[in-house]
Amino acid sequence: MAILTVNQLSKKYGKITALQQVSFSVPQGSVFGILGPNGSGKTTLLGIVMEVLKSSGGTFQLFDEVPTEKTRQRIGTLLETPNFYHYLSAVQNLKITAGIKKRGADDIDRVLQIVNLTQRQHSPFSSYSLGMKQRLAIAAALLGNPDVLVLDEPTNGLDPVGIAEIRELIKKLAKEGKTIIMASHMLDEVEKVCTHVAILKFGKLITYGDVNEILINDDIVEVVSSDLERLKNTLINMPNNTHVQITNETVHVHFAAGTANLEAINKFCFENGIVLSHLQLKKKSLETKFLELTN
Amino acid sequence: MINLLKIEWLKVKNYRAFIVIGIFFIVGIFVTNYIVNLFFEKVINESEASKLINRFNPYTFKYVWQTISYTSGFILLLPALLIIILLTNEFTFKTHRQNIIDGWSRMEFMHVKMLLALLFAIFSTVLVFIAGLIFGLSTKTDIEFVGIAHLGFFFLKALSYNMFAILVAIWIKKTGFAIGVYFIYMGAENIIAQLLDVWSLKIKAKGSFDPGSMGNYLPMNASDGLLTFPDNPIKALTQNSFPSNYPNLVFGIAIAYLILFYLLSRKKMISSDL
Repeated sequence: MAILTVNQLSKKYGKITALQQVSFSVPQGSVFGILGPNGSGKTTLLGIVMEVLKSSGGTFQLFDEVPTEKTRQRIGTLLETPNFYHYLSAVQNLKITAGIKKRGADDIDRVLQIVNLTQRQHSPFSSYSLGMKQRLAIAAALLGNPDVLVLDEPTNGLDPVGIAEIRELIKKLAKEGKTIIMASHMLDEVEKVCTHVAILKFGKLITYGDVNEILINDDIVEVVSSDLERLKNTLINMPNNTHVQITNETVHVHFAAGTANLEAINKFCFENGIVLSHLQLKKKSLETKFLELTN
Repeated sequence: MINLLKIEWLKVKNYRAFIVIGIFFIVGIFVTNYIVNLFFEKVINESEASKLINRFNPYTFKYVWQTISYTSGFILLLPALLIIILLTNEFTFKTHRQNIIDGWSRMEFMHVKMLLALLFAIFSTVLVFIAGLIFGLSTKTDIEFVGIAHLGFFFLKALSYNMFAILVAIWIKKTGFAIGVYFIYMGAENIIAQLLDVWSLKIKAKGSFDPGSMGNYLPMNASDGLLTFPDNPIKALTQNSFPSNYPNLVFGIAIAYLILFYLLSRKKMISSDL
């Protein structure tokens, strides 16, 4: 079963196209990252799925059905910003959430504990810091222990400890078999927690699929010796490499993912009369890949 | 539906503006009527002119229902103001989005606010009924329910004010701007209504056609048009009354406007990005 399927989804704001015929599907049990720079259409996409924005074209399904408000009650969603009644406390706000979702009224203590808001549960929302507001929004999404979570920039406004906690939480929930759809502009966040990724840019879907196939598809070996030019020219002749270049006083040798063999490189160089002073395997940097994909 | 209202109650019960405006409204109804009553007793009925005609106290049965319905009508701006604040607050703090994300339909979000508007109108009417009983009984006469239909007109006016408040709030969304538009419209419509009334008299004077008071055909004046201050009985005799089906016409127009307010609110709520 697909948890979410979007089909040719488009959205126009006047002349601006925020979303351009985007199609993908989110498999059950995946942690699905929607990755893209600011303004790439991530929130617009999720807003349409959550019925707060009207699409200009295309369709979407949740749980393989045309969704209704009942479908949304089964999903824990944090979209864009934490939206709460500013004069009410955390507990009072979550009671409203539970009332609308028709579940989770007995779950409020647990979710507040998870996000460390128990101490401030009776303070009004307006007195919260940005990070606390964000944590309350995550608590609201967790309310009633839903099988599917939609989290738009979940670590927004959190301190480093908070960010680490939320990542651990997402991993833990994924282990429990929950499906998590997460929008983010932070690559390392997606790399660390997601199993699948869709990359958006200017409202267009650039690619999507397994995170290991899309984000990490090259092994790079850094090699240094006294004569870089000679080293480079030698390594070009080594079998199986895809590309050799000199960057920052280092020779970079590219291999297809999982095929780089450091011993073989060392041996190959030594046999060709070169002694290496540095030899290190690097996965292709995510930043590089992301810039490559989105530029 | 009860579930929707329970959630709405969770939203408003701790909201200070709700409590403050509620208190102002309740106190306002009694104080306003008390002042008008006092004015009649101390000023009008004590004046030289009033000795020429029968003394007339509008706060005795049977006049009290009409008097109190008319006088209290002005204070209905307070619940309407509260409705604008409650609804535009949702838009300002984006809680309307969250309600829908969490599992309300867009229509449920709007309907529960309209339900609130209906409840406010019912509460206002009950309050005015109680006030009517108190003022009437304070003159120590037997209870009479003649003219209690005016409470029905009052209810219609309350509902129209509240539903128009919802319409304005849904279309304008910003609290201050919506309140401004609401009050400016109220004032502007009254001025236009008076001009239309003058025009109506001219048309009537010219020929056989009687358009009634055309000012009463405007949205807010339609529900208002049936509420008037009771005339001194003698003065009332001298006035030629409208045809007997005229109240029905105005009543029908007021209902039609209510339906229009609903449909226009629905249109915006269903089709727009939230």
